[in-house]
Amino acid sequence: MRFNEKELVFLSRQPPERAAELGMRGPKKGDVVKRRVVKLIVNFLFYFRTDEDEPIGALLLEQCRVEREDDQVFSIVFLDEAERKYLFECDSQEQCVEWIDAIVKASYEFMRKNLIYYRTEIHRLTGTDPLEQYGISDETRFQVFLVLQSASIHHCHLLCFL
Amino acid sequence: MSARSSAVTRERFMQRHVIVSQERKKEGRKTRSKETIMKLNEKSVAHYATCNSPPDKTGFLFKKGERNTAYHRRWFILKGNMLFYFEERESREPIGVIVLEGCTVELCESESEEFAFAVKFDCVKARVYKMAAENQAAMESWVKALSRASFDYMRLVVKELERQLEEVQEEARSSQAKNKPKKHQPQVQGATFSLQNAAITGPSQEGVSSRENGVSWSKPTSVPNGVSEGCVWEGDFCGRGDGVKPPPVPPRRKTNGGSPESPVSPGTGCFSKLHEWYGKEVAELRIEWMQSK
Repeated sequence: MRFNEKELVFLSRQPPERAAELGMRGPKKGDVVKRRVVKLIVNFLFYFRTDEDEPIGALLLEQCRVEREDDQVFSIVFLDEAERKYLFECDSQEQCVEWIDAIVKASYEFMRKNLIYYRTEIHRLTGTDPLEQYGISDETRFQVFLVLQSASIHHCHLLCFL
Repeated sequence: MSARSSAVTRERFMQRHVIVSQERKKEGRKTRSKETIMKLNEKSVAHYATCNSPPDKTGFLFKKGERNTAYHRRWFILKGNMLFYFEERESREPIGVIVLEGCTVELCESESEEFAFAVKFDCVKARVYKMAAENQAAMESWVKALSRASFDYMRLVVKELERQLEEVQEEARSSQAKNKPKKHQPQVQGATFSLQNAAITGPSQEGVSSRENGVSWSKPTSVPNGVSEGCVWEGDFCGRGDGVKPPPVPPRRKTNGGSPESPVSPGTGCFSKLHEWYGKEVAELRIEWMQSK
């Protein structure tokens, strides 16, 4: 699959949300832990050799799960290949917790969910759609996807926005 | 892409990678060669394209080839800040993806194609992705959608709503403390937009074009008894007319920090200032475009 590598490399040079040197182990059998500079920028995790300025690789942080593996170790798995784990070794528990938190919040879909929640809440409390004044309330990306929890009409809440 | 041609591509990639690695080792170079392909979790990225989360926009667009300057018709799926393109609508895997960070979307002139626009990136020697839609409405719709696709933009909107919610909750708390019964009066926080919005998107609104392209979005249906009011949206917003703010579209960003001539940098925390600024530039762009036609 083609991707705009040059532009991604440029992105990897932007100010990161978070960056540190961590021990990183790839998901393949036989992969060993290597010291890498890891940078979190938007919904990408870039990783560099410690003495290089261009990233070896990037992980798009969508459709993934971050888990605490150990005191100072967390893992990232992608939902389409749940057996393959990327492991990251931190220098402290605190650092580990902070990274997990940061990565979870780094996904676009996570932000979208928050937005929908805030939008719904504000509307519930004020009767107004907060996106209206910016003229973006009909943007597809801000819409709520209707999920009916049960067939019973007494228990269903419909949250729909045109 | 056929199985055979993707196998060939893979082989070439592997060969190239080996050659470049060997060269690097010979030279003892620390900086990676520009020819080296950066790794990406491609399989999972492709999965994101086709997994069950609803896309932000789908449709056919003509895309100008990289070496071959002909325009090819491709099926596009926009999800978050990722623009995927497929050979066919039925293709299971994308041919490629364009990461929409640090880019701007511009209308452009093209000798061969009408309704053309371009996705341009900030970086040196960046690729310009030239695309063309099938009609004016589709072009405007795609330009809008792509301009608002960046992670940064979403983050801005979320932060703004987070702030607004805190304000509203704070008000609710303080009025409760004062023991005042608080009526939920619909507060219009500014002029409504729908007239202006209709002018930009033309007759085919977002919802309609989304359905045409295979994305189904729920429309407000009648509320069954017993559901608390305020959950269902009345779909029809009537424009009030005065002082309508144009829809915000992230403008041509020259640098990460914002262009020098802007009154506020894109990094500003003041959301309404930002939208005013974006709106002005969009209005100017439209005038330019209309005049050039």
